[in-house]
Amino acid sequence: MANIAALRIQREFKEVIRSEEVAKCAIKVELVNDSFTELKGEIAGPPDTPYEGGNFVLEIKVPETYPFNPPKVRFITKIWHPNISSVTGAICLDILKDQWAAAMTLRTVLLSLQALLSAAEPDDPQDAVVARQYKEHPEMFRQTAKHWTYVYAGGPAKMPDLDDKIRRLTDMGIEEHNARVALSSYNWDLERATEQLFS
Amino acid sequence: MKVTIKGWTGVATWRWIANDDNCGICRMPFDASCPDCKIPGDDCPLVWGQCSHCFHIHCIMKWLHSQQTRHLCPMCRQEWKFKE
Repeated sequence: MANIAALRIQREFKEVIRSEEVAKCAIKVELVNDSFTELKGEIAGPPDTPYEGGNFVLEIKVPETYPFNPPKVRFITKIWHPNISSVTGAICLDILKDQWAAAMTLRTVLLSLQALLSAAEPDDPQDAVVARQYKEHPEMFRQTAKHWTYVYAGGPAKMPDLDDKIRRLTDMGIEEHNARVALSSYNWDLERATEQLFS
Repeated sequence: MKVTIKGWTGVATWRWIANDDNCGICRMPFDASCPDCKIPGDDCPLVWGQCSHCFHIHCIMKWLHSQQTRHLCPMCRQEWKFKE
C-alpha cells in the first residue's frame, strides 16, 4: 500500500478511537489486517428511526490511492433501506462516489452513513424495491426495516405477526432469509410472496 | 567585572503560520513534511487557496490531478484557486 494511504489510515484510526462518538458507542472501527487496507466499521442505528437499537457492521476497503479516492464501503449486516442494496449491501451515497473529498475521513464517512439511515433518499435508490415501498407504503416500510433490524442487527422490536408469516413459508421448505425477502418485497402479502417463490 | 565573549551559537526556530495544525489531505502536522518528503521547510511548502484553506503543495497537487472535472478545495468544495 502506498505510503500516504497507510500513514493516513493509521492516524485516522487513532482519531476515531479517541472521538466522542466512540465514547457514546455510536461508531467503531477495527482492523482486519496489519496493512490497514481493510477495516471493519460499525455504526449504531440512529434514534427515532426503524434502525434504532441495531448495530450495523460495514466492510471498509482502503484503495492504494486513498485519500485521493474514497474508501469502498458496504454493509455486511443485512438492512432494509432505499439507498442500500438488500442483496449485496452496496451503498448509494454521493460522498462515496463523485462527491468524495480528500479532507474526509473514516470518522466523517461513518457519521455520514449514520445520517443516511436517518434521512433516506428514495429518489436516488440503490434498491428500487425498498424505495418503492418507502414512497408508497411508508408504514409498511417502517415495519419491515424494524423487523430486519431485529433479525440481523440485534434490534429490540420482535414482531410476532411478521414472524408468523415467515414461518408459514419456511414450513413449506423455503429458506428463512428468502422467505423474508419475498414477504418484504410484496408488502407482507403472503399469497403474492408464495406465488413469486414458487413461480 | 569584565566579560569577554569568546564565541556564541545562534539558534532559531521556525514554523508555518497556518490556520490549522494538520494538513487536511495527509493529516500530518504542517510542521512536518508531507509523506513523500523527508525534510520539512522550503522544499515541502504550504500553499493557500482563495478559500483560505491550506495544504502541503505536494498533497494539493496530487488531489487536483486526481480530479477529472472540476478542481475543488478538499475542505469546503469551493473552486480551488491558488492565493496569489
